[in-house]
Amino acid sequence: MAIVEVKDLTKRYPSFTLDGVSFGIGSGRITGFIGRNGAGKTTTIKAMLNLVHPDSGTVSFFGKPMAGNETEIKKHIGYSTGAVSWYPRKKIRDIVDIEKRFYDSWDLESYGKYMELFALDDRKTPMELSEGMKVKLNLLLALSHKAEVLILDEPTSGLDPFSRNELLDIFTELKNHGVAVFFSTHIISDIEKCADDIVYISKGKIVSAVSKDDFIRNHSLDGESLEDTMLRLERSSSNA
Amino acid sequence: MRNILIKEFRLSASPLSFFFILFGLMFFIPGYPILLGAFFVTLGLFYSFQATRETNDILYSALLPIAKRDVVKGKYAFVCSVEGISFLLMAAVVIVRMTLLKDSPVYRNNALMNANLFALGGALLIFGLFNLIFLSGFFKTAYKIGRPFVIYVIVVLFTVTAFEALHHFPGLGALNAFGTDSMTLQLLMLLAGALLCVIMTVLSCGTACSRFEKLDL
Repeated sequence: MAIVEVKDLTKRYPSFTLDGVSFGIGSGRITGFIGRNGAGKTTTIKAMLNLVHPDSGTVSFFGKPMAGNETEIKKHIGYSTGAVSWYPRKKIRDIVDIEKRFYDSWDLESYGKYMELFALDDRKTPMELSEGMKVKLNLLLALSHKAEVLILDEPTSGLDPFSRNELLDIFTELKNHGVAVFFSTHIISDIEKCADDIVYISKGKIVSAVSKDDFIRNHSLDGESLEDTMLRLERSSSNA
Repeated sequence: MRNILIKEFRLSASPLSFFFILFGLMFFIPGYPILLGAFFVTLGLFYSFQATRETNDILYSALLPIAKRDVVKGKYAFVCSVEGISFLLMAAVVIVRMTLLKDSPVYRNNALMNANLFALGGALLIFGLFNLIFLSGFFKTAYKIGRPFVIYVIVVLFTVTAFEALHHFPGLGALNAFGTDSMTLQLLMLLAGALLCVIMTVLSCGTACSRFEKLDL
């Protein structure tokens, strides 16, 4: 049963159209959202979070439409984007102190656990962190309020291989606790390692939204790795 | 709303917004266009909007579990709080000038506007103009601060000039009343300023909320 339903999401820009995007995210599943730069991943995620207004289509979380239930829904989801850092000159502890006021479910234990795991120092400011550590800070904020759905826009970009592995292990741990993890990436090995489902977008259209096993069955040639399959699909899409 | 206001004060605000509240003390300066004190308070608020843009505050706020219009209302609550505090400071100065210093020669021999209840009404009008022009202008894009602020500055300079000139016109000398002279007129002018400020702020907040709802971030 899908905990998040995206139906016929369409957004037209002068030079790009997100065209009838539909997919679901299952509870306790890791869904990799894959596509090359400019394919529409971030626009889709922003539209899911009501940051971008689609021309048509609907998004629902937990069976409730985002429109009209935004406040309630946002309490149960976590969002992180790899690149953006908020309040670069404020101490992390001050940012956290404000953030936790908005969530009844803020979990001090999880917060402490991930602070330690990510080796973050809350006396530092975001501008004192490397890009990788900034990703971890955003994740820490998302993970500390017991979100049932995590929507992560390129969370592994900028992370070293060890941190990336650590993060993918955390995704698996969260999934085992029933959390739905939806993350966009263009690093196919991340999908290969931990995703249960794959949503593949190309030029603003969903090419495929199925389980990883079905994706491989439907698209991969014999002996072909997932990365090779994706590259072949992208090449044929570019030539079309 | 309480939490979003705390966020505004602790994360979004520029320290200059608080420091510039002290410009309310300009109501003590003789021979100076005192309403510029109210303008400087809004200049301090402008720095917070500059910080808002530089720190991705709007996107951060929009992702919090609050309605999008609450992001706007939080900004208005912050601005009105700062304006309110500076108004109290100006009011305290005006009370001192209307009582203890009402016969002070430096204030009596002053070609410019006197600090009385009419001046306080003028300060409220300037706050209202800031809320109407700058705030609702900012929420057209949630990042462009220059254009709405320039328009506001032009309007406010005309307003200050007009207020400074008014009491020199025949029949309007009472606007420059000292102490408790022409008290009814002074009170009416203060109430008119307060009413205009409230109307402009409410109208502006409604416009800003609907503009922000339609924005793609």
